Amino acid sequence: MNIVVCLKQVPKKDSILRIAADQKWIDDRDISYEMSEADAYALEEALRQREKHGSGEVIVLALGPERVRQSIKEALAKGADRAIHLHDDIFNSATDAAGVARALAAALKDEKFDLVFTGLQSDDYGFAQVGLILAETLGLSSATIVMEVQPEGDSVRVKRELESGWFQWVKIPMPALLTIQSGINQLRYATLKGIMAAKKKELKEVKAADLGLTAQALQPAQVIEKAYLPIKSKQTEIIAGKPAEAAAKLVEKLKFDARVL
Amino acid sequence: MNIERETLEMDVLLVGAGPANLSCALHLTNLVAQHNEKAKADGGRQLHELNIAVIEKAAEIGAHQLSGAVLDPISLRELLPDFEKDAPFEAPVGDEKVYFLTASGKIPAPILPPPLRNHGNYVISLNKFVRWLGDKCEAAGVNIFPEFPGWEMLYDNNAVIGVRTGDKGIDKNGKPKAVFEPGVDIVAKVTVLGEGVRGSLTKQLLKQLKLDAGKDPQVYSVGVKELWEMPDDRFPAGSIIHTMGWPLDSHTFGGSWVYGMKDRIINIGLAVGLDYRDPKIDPHHEFQKFKTHPLFAELLQGGKMIRYGAKAMPVGGWYTMPKPTHDGVMIIGDSAATLNGERLKGIHTAIKAGMLAAETILEALLADDYSDKILSRYETRLKESYVGKELYQTRNFHQAFDKGRNMGLMIAGISTLTGGRLPTRLPIKAGHEHMQHQQANGADRYADLKYDDKLTFAKLTDVYYSSTAHDEDQPCHLHVLDTNICIDRCTKEFGNPCQHFCPASVYEMVEDKESRKLHINFSNCVHCKTCDIMDPYQIINWVPPEGGGGPNYRNM
Amino acid sequence: MSEGILLFIEQRDGKLNRTSLETLVAVQKIAATTGDTTSAVVLGQGINEVATEIAAKKLAKVYTVEDDKLATYTPDAYVGALKQVIEKLNPRMVAFSHTYRVRDFAPRLTAALGKTFVTDCISFRQDGNDTVFTRQIFQGKINTDVRVQSAPPIFVSFQAGSYRADLAEVGDAPAAVEALAVDLSSVDVRTQTEAPFQEAKQAVDLTQAPLIVAIGRGIKEKDNIKIIEDLAAAMGAEIAASRPICDNEWLPMDRQIGSSGQTVAPKLYLAIGISGAIQHVVGMKNSQTIVAINKDPEAPIFDIADYGIVGDLFDIIPALTAEVKKAKGE
Repeated sequence: MNIVVCLKQVPKKDSILRIAADQKWIDDRDISYEMSEADAYALEEALRQREKHGSGEVIVLALGPERVRQSIKEALAKGADRAIHLHDDIFNSATDAAGVARALAAALKDEKFDLVFTGLQSDDYGFAQVGLILAETLGLSSATIVMEVQPEGDSVRVKRELESGWFQWVKIPMPALLTIQSGINQLRYATLKGIMAAKKKELKEVKAADLGLTAQALQPAQVIEKAYLPIKSKQTEIIAGKPAEAAAKLVEKLKFDARVL
Repeated sequence: MNIERETLEMDVLLVGAGPANLSCALHLTNLVAQHNEKAKADGGRQLHELNIAVIEKAAEIGAHQLSGAVLDPISLRELLPDFEKDAPFEAPVGDEKVYFLTASGKIPAPILPPPLRNHGNYVISLNKFVRWLGDKCEAAGVNIFPEFPGWEMLYDNNAVIGVRTGDKGIDKNGKPKAVFEPGVDIVAKVTVLGEGVRGSLTKQLLKQLKLDAGKDPQVYSVGVKELWEMPDDRFPAGSIIHTMGWPLDSHTFGGSWVYGMKDRIINIGLAVGLDYRDPKIDPHHEFQKFKTHPLFAELLQGGKMIRYGAKAMPVGGWYTMPKPTHDGVMIIGDSAATLNGERLKGIHTAIKAGMLAAETILEALLADDYSDKILSRYETRLKESYVGKELYQTRNFHQAFDKGRNMGLMIAGISTLTGGRLPTRLPIKAGHEHMQHQQANGADRYADLKYDDKLTFAKLTDVYYSSTAHDEDQPCHLHVLDTNICIDRCTKEFGNPCQHFCPASVYEMVEDKESRKLHINFSNCVHCKTCDIMDPYQIINWVPPEGGGGPNYRNM
Repeated sequence: MSEGILLFIEQRDGKLNRTSLETLVAVQKIAATTGDTTSAVVLGQGINEVATEIAAKKLAKVYTVEDDKLATYTPDAYVGALKQVIEKLNPRMVAFSHTYRVRDFAPRLTAALGKTFVTDCISFRQDGNDTVFTRQIFQGKINTDVRVQSAPPIFVSFQAGSYRADLAEVGDAPAAVEALAVDLSSVDVRTQTEAPFQEAKQAVDLTQAPLIVAIGRGIKEKDNIKIIEDLAAAMGAEIAASRPICDNEWLPMDRQIGSSGQTVAPKLYLAIGISGAIQHVVGMKNSQTIVAINKDPEAPIFDIADYGIVGDLFDIIPALTAEVKKAKGE
């Protein structure tokens, strides 16, 4: 069982985000990064599947600048077998989901795999698209928001999360792409021995030219024109009166003004 | 619980990725390379490639590093002669001012007091600096393991043989979770403790081997600081202001700093001596009050607070330094009190201490003898170096303040003029022993302090800006040995000062209908160690939480 | 030439997904500024009722697409069918609600068509001929205005709760319902589906809850949570909490909102006895409507609330529960 895991590195959850001077993105000075949460679960699931299966490889695929190596090394330390790092300034042009998927698809062209895992969505852009575009481009079957994975011969049976507490099992032929939901498993810790062993694992750097890609080919079709902090435009209305009166007034407001009840 | 643990063998194990240990590791790799080159030429004995490990409790290198800081580059120039090429410094020190503050005014110092002269020094972010040093170490082949705190010392008949790292994946009730990962026994020929101030392993070691016997008790200050992003260049990078006086009372040692950093960032902080008398003193609140001084309220006008943090520092100096070596172990940097309390500088001394430790380790490796016979040469080296000289000269500085600020200023003045000589050695007691019982109707020190979320911030808001995070499902890492004392005695005698001295709202007395109890919000903890130091009953024991927890002091 | 806006209507077992009506409102608002004609498309089998329901709204046309392969939802069949629909109708814009189902197939569809897809938008503004969409990044911490730079059709999805379904305009006369034929014979449906099910013990996903009642320290004791449970039951809301409540294990940790818990943006967030420390506020400040009940008039929670009641929660909550029940006709 060979599984590719697409990993994205994002600013840490507890980061204090500020808007950059050009108002197009966050100010990325003095930010710490980590694996996007759902991707960390995707990696863990891949490792568990490989361990269950007893053979095969977990291959990490990540795109981004030098700092991304830290997350790749973490994945190798946790047990991934090898890694491909798309590392080239040209990849900076890929700022929408299609551009990233194009680059990832090109990198997987010559890889042999049964499954590709991505996180359900990233913690920064949150497009929730890269995995599926990748599947469409490579002609893979797909299932999203996956909470359990059971390979069965040439197929994989997965439990998908639907809305409002509903679930559904579906079966798709391999090779398949699954987008993994956070919480599907419990994340392991990297061990000291794993960290030492990771130093000897293959970490291949790939340039855009190696994939026949140019900045032009990765141009985004949607761009952020402006990034800004959400503005609070509301005024607080204090409801006075005895408890019963205030409660009645509040219910009226929620029902007829805010229309949320 | 019987746990099977792995053992990892290393030549040298360093606990804590701070300036002392990283300098030690880097210098040692350089020395070994030089030795081997020479041995190759001379046909002498070459050393095998060293396995050096640095373990660090923070999630990434530098994340727990907080300092002012102004760096005296004297030792860095020895370690990395080309440092100016790529060191991530903010700026050389430029305009420099010192004031004595009163509630609304300021009295400039007629001349810059010599210990505060910073010409030739650099304004730096210790976090950035340490990350840079860490990169250099990794490039030189040093293994750095973030998220691995040292949990306990490993001994073989009182000789140190290594360190056990902390377990991971223990739930809040102390039970292992499904992903439990036991700590590893890292054994090494030499273990170097460079844990920073009040290191938890250092504390164990000093007690076990009585390495502080006959020394003065250590004295500490806690620094509380914020970074501010300004809309203009009103305070250029490299500008510095130091103040003394207001808002601290005359029984409280301390002072402030304001440093200009790159990209229009102002770094402002207040150090408060942890030997104050009034149990109601709250270093965070003192700092908030300090910023309302017209001088700083105006300076910060229109800026935005972007980061907060706090950290204790050892300021006792010469007479408080423990014996820094024993069989198989060395203690360096702030853990061994190499900070110069008069200049409030400890980075350059930590770097030098690390280098001298490395030189001693090389001798031990060559002799294949890791006993105190060889390792104790480090102490001699340190005391004979310029670090030893400056620490000796300032040996009476903080001790003078033991008597309160006014007397202290006079004695420290004499001491500076005479090169540290005073007629007698001043007696000293531990900081927490200065705390006095609360006054029945003592005034609320902070009655006028309002948090406007522009200039001043509530403690919990500030904590948010320290980016502190811990896995909530783990045992509390602040061990209060007897919580009955908190309720029965402390409430009456001191009014539970843990609620005040902790700069991160970790300690909270919670009352409900029938009882009053201590609630510990351990996940707010910024790892400053103030509680372990200042608790009047000395019943708080700070131990490292699960690796990776704590603040994230980017750019601090 | 591409023209008009096509709205995707989601149905399951012949039942309309309410979020489609929210997106209808967005579509109607866009059309009001651009003059676009608006139409809707429903896929499936046995979908006449849904088509009729939606046709009552102000729309030029409702298309139905029926095929055996669409009886049960699969991404392959949906992509195959919609691809043909879009090629046939050639709309300028195609709008979806950002549901789990849309997330499962729409990115494949847009990729198959070689188009960009602006997902999870919360609003839009018209700038000349361009529609600029607002979408949140970093889990709602930052808003971005996004412009599409490729040729039409533009694909967009709107977040649940961004528009109010009850504001959907009704047409003067029902819209014409037209069956649209597609040929799915060459579509290889790779997904074999099993029946959806609910789990007895489900993890709480507060991010999906439209109504949240959250409690803080003001509740004082574990036993007092009962009155909150009564209120939540009356409202049909989920219960959440600030950290101290979960710290004390009065509620499980997965109910915690804030920097060390979940980030939510429900339609209604009722904060009871919560002071509003920044650590909590970052997890809920983007809620559509925030109500604060607190005895301290200076509590920072009032700074971000739409409605506030200053007073003792132990008096107010039972009264509120009674009023909610009354309003719901119980």
